[in-house]
Amino acid sequence: MKPFSYATALTPESARELAGQEGAYLAGGNDLLGLMKESILAPKLLVNIKPIPGFNAIEQTARSWILGATTTLAQIENHAGLRQAFPGLHQAVAEVGSLQIRNVATIGGNLAQHSRCWYFRHRDLVCWKKGGDTCLAREGENRYHSIFTGCACISPVVSNLSVVLAALGATVHVRRGDQTLKWSINELYAQAWDDPSAHHSLGSGDLILKIEIPADSRRSAYLQASEKAQFDWALVSCAASAQVDQGRFSRSRIVLGAVAPAPYQVNEANQMLDGQAVDEALAAQVADRLLRDATPVAHNQYKVAIAKALVVRTLLLLRS
Amino acid sequence: MNKPDCSSKPSGSVSRRNFLKTIGTTAVAGAAAQAESIAAELQKVDAEKIQGPGPVPITLTVNGKKHDLELEPRVTLLDALRNFLNSTGAKEVCDRGTCGACTVLIDGKPVYACMQLAIESQGCSITTVEALAQGNRLSKIQQAFIEEDALMCGYCTPGFLMSATALLQRQPKPTADDVRHACAGNVCRCGTHPRVLKAILKTAGVEITQKTEVIRYADLA
Amino acid sequence: MPTWPKESKFISKNIRRIDGPAKVTGSAKYTSDVQPEGCLYGMILRSRWPAARITRINLDKARQVAGFRAAVLVREGERRVRYYGEELAAVACATKQACQDALRAIEVEAVPLPFVVREEDAIRTDSPRVWDDSPNLSKAGLRERGDVTKALADSAVVVEGFFSTPVQVHHPLETHGNTASWTDEELTVWSSTQGIFSVRDGLAGNLNLEQNKIRVISEYMGGGFGAKFGPGVEGALAARLSRAAKAPVKLMLTRFDQSLAVGNRPSSYQKIKLGAAADGKLLAFELDAYGTAGIGSGGSTEGGGGGAEFPAPYIYQIPNIRVSHRGVTVNAGSARAFRAPGHPQASFGMESILDELAVKLNIDPVELRILNDPFEIRRKEYQLGAERFGWKEKYRKPGSSPGSIKTGVGCAGAMWGGGGGGTQAEAQVNPDGAIEIRCGTQDLGTGTKTVIAAIGADLLGLTPDQIAVRIGDTRFPPSGGSGGSTTAASVSPAVHNTCQRVLEELQKVSGMSDVRGENWKSACKKLGVNPLVVPGKWVEGLSSSGVGGVQFAEVEVDTQTGFVKVKKITCVQDCGLVVSRLTCESQVNGGIIMGIGYALYEERVMDRASGMLLNPNFETYKLPGLADVPEIDIVLLDMPERGVIGIGEPVTIPTASAIANAVANALGVRIGSLPVTPAKILAALDKSKATA
Repeated sequence: MKPFSYATALTPESARELAGQEGAYLAGGNDLLGLMKESILAPKLLVNIKPIPGFNAIEQTARSWILGATTTLAQIENHAGLRQAFPGLHQAVAEVGSLQIRNVATIGGNLAQHSRCWYFRHRDLVCWKKGGDTCLAREGENRYHSIFTGCACISPVVSNLSVVLAALGATVHVRRGDQTLKWSINELYAQAWDDPSAHHSLGSGDLILKIEIPADSRRSAYLQASEKAQFDWALVSCAASAQVDQGRFSRSRIVLGAVAPAPYQVNEANQMLDGQAVDEALAAQVADRLLRDATPVAHNQYKVAIAKALVVRTLLLLRS
Repeated sequence: MNKPDCSSKPSGSVSRRNFLKTIGTTAVAGAAAQAESIAAELQKVDAEKIQGPGPVPITLTVNGKKHDLELEPRVTLLDALRNFLNSTGAKEVCDRGTCGACTVLIDGKPVYACMQLAIESQGCSITTVEALAQGNRLSKIQQAFIEEDALMCGYCTPGFLMSATALLQRQPKPTADDVRHACAGNVCRCGTHPRVLKAILKTAGVEITQKTEVIRYADLA
Repeated sequence: MPTWPKESKFISKNIRRIDGPAKVTGSAKYTSDVQPEGCLYGMILRSRWPAARITRINLDKARQVAGFRAAVLVREGERRVRYYGEELAAVACATKQACQDALRAIEVEAVPLPFVVREEDAIRTDSPRVWDDSPNLSKAGLRERGDVTKALADSAVVVEGFFSTPVQVHHPLETHGNTASWTDEELTVWSSTQGIFSVRDGLAGNLNLEQNKIRVISEYMGGGFGAKFGPGVEGALAARLSRAAKAPVKLMLTRFDQSLAVGNRPSSYQKIKLGAAADGKLLAFELDAYGTAGIGSGGSTEGGGGGAEFPAPYIYQIPNIRVSHRGVTVNAGSARAFRAPGHPQASFGMESILDELAVKLNIDPVELRILNDPFEIRRKEYQLGAERFGWKEKYRKPGSSPGSIKTGVGCAGAMWGGGGGGTQAEAQVNPDGAIEIRCGTQDLGTGTKTVIAAIGADLLGLTPDQIAVRIGDTRFPPSGGSGGSTTAASVSPAVHNTCQRVLEELQKVSGMSDVRGENWKSACKKLGVNPLVVPGKWVEGLSSSGVGGVQFAEVEVDTQTGFVKVKKITCVQDCGLVVSRLTCESQVNGGIIMGIGYALYEERVMDRASGMLLNPNFETYKLPGLADVPEIDIVLLDMPERGVIGIGEPVTIPTASAIANAVANALGVRIGSLPVTPAKILAALDKSKATA
């Protein structure tokens, strides 16, 4: 890594002040240090935000669960209350990386992580996300890339948690300047759809404060498909949530990950589920609708089939 | 908003001298009982101080012993262990948090030492493979690894031992799936996996058998 | 004629790996751990271009970096580079951080040249030439026997197929590397190597030193798999840096380096036609194959064995064959011998097409193999293995397993040479009874030390922990490099011979007729003041060569996600005399798991447009993890009458073939390309639905 200065912060305000325009926040460090070791990023100052008191607190209120930005994935995985309230969240977090990663990785960092596209992550290649003006994956090796390819960059969002949090309707609290923005997961990734240089909507200096998950008696479920059994990125991931009363779904959401710049859902697909007793046939129709506008590239057509299968399985899992 | 120059103190933070001025001489004079809370407050002030990029004083507590070092902020914990403390049990294999050969315990939790900065590992209790044996007495898991031949070249072994040790501390009676989940982040190229699994379960008091047999060819029909 | 003891306490038994304690406590010092006083760190600057003319390398700014001590160029003057990652220069600095800074400060001027990195591009006549004076596609090497055209025409059935295997990278966990240290004009090198003498002699040539001025040490090393012979460019650089800096230099490659520049298994693209009689007897085999060994195609590389040819039609002695091999040069790191060079590729094509034949003829795949296998040992292995595996119960028509998760089974066979020779050893017997056996051989995790201890213990009537085994030093009697599965068969007879001579000498000195076991200590006491040093060497009669081996695989394939779960592998393997059972079985596990990686996950991915490697890391060059490892059932066929042979390589040959056959059996459609990924499975199922 290139040389850098280091400071620890004790409040979000001092974190932001210290980091300024040239610094970066150091949480778990898996993403940041990995990029710095390839000299893809070279911030002059790292601000360790883990010591901020209460920043990793898990809080239950009457209407929601609130997770501080530096809550580790291991904390989430081991939390009995969260597991009971949001089984899908538990399933998603248990599959992130390895235990060594989950012990230090944070929910904020997981959401804010940069693309895993091997062109982006390559020390000697320049693409949209590194100041260039091409997507090297589009005509290249794109087996792991998006199948919704309207954006000029076809690198997909790979955060497992983003998919299930989208299904749960979570809100991400972000400090920008003097304001606290409250974003849906869609909004957190909206900029990645429009701007091929963006990984998400966070700007320099923006600091995720907390993630709020409404506790509104929704069920949740999460599944992913990978090449290896464990410690592998998802080829496709899928999360579903709904209120289920006597077999009938309402307020349904079915979301796909690793297929688009943001967790992917379609209102019409969600609405097809509402009021229904979901069976395999309906689930398959929902899957078709959700994947209808997929425009896979040369080497990832297979993701469409996997996505459809996961939609069906996740909905049936939700129902059971 | 002013962009702070990273080599100077950011505006708004409290300098050590100012802080002492604020609390006043009387408080300092009656220091004995308050010394600890003052130290804690001072530590807080230090905490927001910008350090580096050149070498800075760093204290690491490794296997119960404190070590004072002068390291650049960019030195990883793994590098500090191997190249500044001559603690070579943890191995460098990928330096990217993808293989587990550098697994150490921080406050009892397995982490990749290569993805931790030394400077952020202060104030924690770091445990490496060298701490597992008590003098000449190997720990149960180390003994099991030898008995079950859960090692070949041995390069992944310290990492696996740390993951296994932490697992058995959390969960004395893991299932085979628990072991796989706990050790998913440890890679082996020689192919010791079946015996690693067996050794860990054996330490937990669970016998599993891998079917192996030696048959004399001469005895075959 | 020397013989192995009929009764043994340790040979063929489960003795523990004697270097286990050092490894589990972290006290074992590998090359990367060795830290001589004042040691500097070395790092290599590599080409950013897949092909270029390097016109200038400016080290000035690097020399200004704090902590800089020395820099060397790989070669002076203008030069060509031919792959992304080729070595250009190296620096030695006080810290690794300073090395990184110094590398960043080196200025390289280059004229990029056209390049080609994909085999399918490189075989075209209009593709850029990797080497100016020869086409990328070599002339065909042809082997013919009989009249294959006629035999195909006369065959009752002919099957055809196209099969491919990827470039596979060794990726031992300890990277290549050396710590070099000079005193006056003598050089000591701690090397992570499979061949200490190959490092010594390679450096001697490279540096113009006499062979007796270099000492190479490799007491513990973290895996090699064939890639670690000779000093390599990095070894010479470490030595040169150390001389320039007047301090020891430790230069270990990074994982990035490891992915690019120190060897791999060549790819293969195989068009096969197989003809047989109605009863399944193989009559005709036609193969048109090419593959890439990177820039080193067709030639020998560090240690040799890196060429892209392979021994088709493998195990089967088919009367009419026409085999054509061509090497394809691309701008990528060159191949090196990789655990059973050529054999997994040969096995994959042959065993896949054989199963196609079995299906077409409606003959059981195991029966078809037994019918055609010329090697009696392996025929028996198939019979024994099939019964143990439950083949008859598990084998069903391809694709007939119900539901969306389909199960299937497959099998394949291996052959290997092994055997040994040439090793020398010596023993030092001390008056207090302590014995040291020394041999300049290597233990890659293969258990060499343990093999030596077992033999010494049995022959001398001692226990293994009474024997100090010292290996990995060129000051010890020489042994060959640890490759070809020859170490056990080379070292064991030499140690046997050494121990026999120890007994003879000790009997003479002590006047006792039996100096073993409980007489040992008192016999040694009679040595008086001076220890007894006894040399020995490899002798005939204790080893041989030629093994078989078969494996059976059971898989579960999720036809909706393409996920393959290997449920079970049964292996029946002969290796002559099983010297040390526990470590022998570990080799089998290891070979099989490496085969699983080859079957399902491993592939070097080159980017066509930029000529760069896209997966120089373990994130996307995927190795099997704990959860990917199935139940493995091992039968070792002990054949003491054949002496020691060797096992490291045969056990990795048939695994991928058996798994691919099992997947084809499960799905009813074949994926003829390794690795068998979900993408390929879903594409194949999609295609078969479309044509149905």
